[in-house]
Amino acid sequence: MTQQTFIYHEKADQLLRNIQKVIIGKEEVTKLSIVALLAQGHVLLEDVPGVGKTMLVRALAKSLNCEFKRIQFTPDLLPSDVTGVSIYNPKELQFEFRPGPILGNIVLADEINRTSPKTQSALLEGMEEKNITVDGMAVPLKKPFFVMATQNPIEYEGTYPLPEAQLDRFLLKLNMGYPTYQEEIEMLNRTSHSHPIDSIEPIMDQEQLVGLQQEVDQVLVNTSIQRYIVEIVSGTRNHPHVYLGASPRGSIALMKAAKAYAFLHNRDYVVPDDVKYLAPFVLSHRIITTSESRFEDKDEKAIVEEVLAQTKVPIDRG
Amino acid sequence: MRLKQEQQPNQVFLNVVLYIGSFLLLWEWLRPLDQITDTGNVLIFILYMSFCFFLTYMQIQWWITFPLKLLGLLFILDGLFFQEQFLSASWFQHLLFDIQYNFSVMSEQQWWEMTALFRSMLFLILLWLMSYLLYYWFVIAKRTLFFVLLTFIYLTVVDTFTVYDAKYAIIRTFLISMIILGLTNFQRILIKEKIFRIPKGNYIAWVLPLIAIVLFSSVVGFAAPKYSPQWPDPVPFLKSTAENAGGGSGTGSGIKKVGYGENDERLGGAFVQDETVVFRAQVEDAQYWKIETKDVYTGKGWVRSGERPFAESDDGTIEFNDIADTVETEPQQATINFNNEELLPKLVYPYGLSQINLNGESPYQYSYSQDTGEIYPKLGNERVQMGSYEVSYDQPVYSLKVLREGSVDDPSVIQERYTQLPETLPQRVKDLAAEITADENNRYDKTKAVEGFFKSPDFQYSTTDVPVPDDNEDYVDQFLFESHLGYCDNFSTSMVVLLRSVDIPARWVKGFGAGEIVERNPTEGNTYEITNSNAHSWVEVYFPDAGWVPFEPTKGFYNPVDFTSGQSLEDLLNNQEEEDIPVSEMEEEPNDPAEEEEQGGSASFTIPWDVLLIVGLVLLAISGLLYWKRFTWMYWLKRRQFHKKNDVETYLKSYQFLLSLLNKKGIKREDDQTLREYARTVDRKLQSSEMGRLTYYYERILYRDDTDTSQWNKMRQLWENLINRVKY
Repeated sequence: MTQQTFIYHEKADQLLRNIQKVIIGKEEVTKLSIVALLAQGHVLLEDVPGVGKTMLVRALAKSLNCEFKRIQFTPDLLPSDVTGVSIYNPKELQFEFRPGPILGNIVLADEINRTSPKTQSALLEGMEEKNITVDGMAVPLKKPFFVMATQNPIEYEGTYPLPEAQLDRFLLKLNMGYPTYQEEIEMLNRTSHSHPIDSIEPIMDQEQLVGLQQEVDQVLVNTSIQRYIVEIVSGTRNHPHVYLGASPRGSIALMKAAKAYAFLHNRDYVVPDDVKYLAPFVLSHRIITTSESRFEDKDEKAIVEEVLAQTKVPIDRG
Repeated sequence: MRLKQEQQPNQVFLNVVLYIGSFLLLWEWLRPLDQITDTGNVLIFILYMSFCFFLTYMQIQWWITFPLKLLGLLFILDGLFFQEQFLSASWFQHLLFDIQYNFSVMSEQQWWEMTALFRSMLFLILLWLMSYLLYYWFVIAKRTLFFVLLTFIYLTVVDTFTVYDAKYAIIRTFLISMIILGLTNFQRILIKEKIFRIPKGNYIAWVLPLIAIVLFSSVVGFAAPKYSPQWPDPVPFLKSTAENAGGGSGTGSGIKKVGYGENDERLGGAFVQDETVVFRAQVEDAQYWKIETKDVYTGKGWVRSGERPFAESDDGTIEFNDIADTVETEPQQATINFNNEELLPKLVYPYGLSQINLNGESPYQYSYSQDTGEIYPKLGNERVQMGSYEVSYDQPVYSLKVLREGSVDDPSVIQERYTQLPETLPQRVKDLAAEITADENNRYDKTKAVEGFFKSPDFQYSTTDVPVPDDNEDYVDQFLFESHLGYCDNFSTSMVVLLRSVDIPARWVKGFGAGEIVERNPTEGNTYEITNSNAHSWVEVYFPDAGWVPFEPTKGFYNPVDFTSGQSLEDLLNNQEEEDIPVSEMEEEPNDPAEEEEQGGSASFTIPWDVLLIVGLVLLAISGLLYWKRFTWMYWLKRRQFHKKNDVETYLKSYQFLLSLLNKKGIKREDDQTLREYARTVDRKLQSSEMGRLTYYYERILYRDDTDTSQWNKMRQLWENLINRVKY
């Protein structure tokens, strides 16, 4: 393995290590969460409860010295429970806005598919527009703003699947998965006295994070890479087992994620490996498969892998 | 491949059809052979070809197919060429000897000497290899277009430049190739779309329309009215260009084979050597082996004037009046043994022939012409060919004194007949003759002056590049004033014409030169071997007191006839001069296979296909070798470039070269593999780290538009290291 591959950006590296004090193993998920954070995108985690989703977000928030909010979605949750509500203050004789949990820096939206679509869209619209409308009044969201939503696997009962258009708004969809045997034992060791989350220190402040995000924007994407991205995304549209392929927003997302990933690896230019590595995470929740693929037991990730296998990597000019 | 077929069971049918198609295409290559080359038994080659194709298709283990194919090859050779018991010791000895002989011939570049056995063997091996090659092209690689195109080019060239008429071959080839191309495309689509199972009916649905369309378009194309060619036919132009490229200015005959021939009406053109032995002669001294003379020069060649009276001889006594009674003679004997495959209708004989002897009772009669010197052996009234005979002859020794001082009053018959010249003979030839002989005062010295004229360095002996005169050109004039290049016909004809221009009676003689001594025997006479290449022509000049005396104008040849000085000191000196020349030329002669030919006067255009085939094969082999070794020479090229230039472009190209080299060495990069992934594979396989570092640098240039060349030397070092590691 070449050295260059594993030199992380200094700040990002510190962040990663800090989080790993709390989250044992799960380096990929942690890393990709940081990628989404740097790319100013959001993450959808699909997994069962108790594998450390909340802890990951909390560690991230604490490391960044950011305000952490959590929304537990339940079937009876109302949109105003997310956005906040104006309450009449009899003392001052006027309505006063009580900000909801969406107005934090880092938001954990737990079990997002347990609530009604109406409430879901309150969150998802905010994620896209960067502001929310409450009682006809536009309220800007905080910067940085990072949502990590979790959902139970679709087959679970009592769930409202997220509409496609809204799934599109998550930059990455990740699976946490169970820790390995060794990791789980290590986890028991660490939590036996006090929880490590209490002992971690902030690595950077919000301004620094915004600065990093701006640097990510400067990462170079060569035209051949852009073509590669478009070829992959349009490949998902032409795959015989895909009912609805990824949208152009998918292309933009893939490029943004690739830039952040390159930045994380201390590069100021994107290489095809970035794109290839990220494509399953960026694209799998953006496509809808046909019933045939389900019969053949192919999930979206497998289809994206197939598309990648058929797409030529640009290795020369032009 | 067997594995592959199992994965794609439905492709078997398509593969069979494709492979049969390639067989049919290759067949089209063989069809013209019996017409344009001297290849016989084409059917046997085709049978062998199908045998090889079948075995190759079966994909049985090589240790079964290889001996089978080899056995088939040997079996065919046995049937065609061998008398010995098949696979017996002597059989192998014969084969081995033949191969050895051909290798020695090839090492001397005497391609025409290769035996039919060896050439057939090479050809069979070629077919054998073609079965592999076509299997690879058609069934495995699915690359059919190249061979289809080659076939079309071959057919059009053969049709244009040879007697072969490819009218129907083109249609057949069109049908086969269109079906092949369609099926290949079909297969490609199947593979691309990863379709491995097709319902049976769908095959028909796909293949039937294809065949229907191909058939329909062929029929329409064949039947539809066609424009006549819009361009002028380029073939005559090409042919004349090809000939003029040789330096001559004439058109007409191409290359002929050397040997004795009857027709001399149109002389000129190049020929190839043929070292086949015609006869062996046991004789004391070197001789001219005369066959006949000709008297009328037409401006293009030689014919005879009118009817010639033949004398008959039942006992072998021949009375020519070519040598005057006053000439000193020495009785001699010679034995002549012909190669049975090279028999001639006329006898060859030395100067001074008096008697033809056969051992025991001779059934032969002879009819001979005193004018032309021809002798036909006969059995009854039938002219026959004689294989071996003895001759008694009185070898003349001409006295120079007599030749110089003798009378020049020729009989009017001789004067008239042997000073004939065509009216079209350009004046400058006559002027030249007058100029050459101006300083001499007798017939002998004039003749020697003309003979000597041809020994000047202006003239060159050559059997190739010799032009044929145009219709409005004189053969002698062209040689004397334009080409200065030729063989004995040019020299001897020119000498006769020059002599006749100054009224010296002279005639043109054909026969064989002295040949090469193969066995020395001082008591019974040396054995000379005379081959087709020794076919020769020279000059006879008439002296009233001596008869017809031979002279030798051709460069590099000597006159084997004896001259004595007579008495005067001057003669003695002259004579010595003359004898110096023969000695030196005699030594030259064996090295100089400089003989000539006299056949096929008409302007037939023949291309030496055998030679072209071999040259083509050699070129093919060379380009194959270059292609096979391309990475070796390209490496040197690229390395030089890398050393000389340090711009980004060079780096990119060098890296890409490395990719193709690694690819060839078996570390294949898939299209969907990124360079880093590939570099990791390479470095793991080679236990190196160079590829990763080179790739990092390459990526920076490619994806970051880096133009930084500070790492140049290091990169070059890494690159060279890696290539050296891969190479061995």
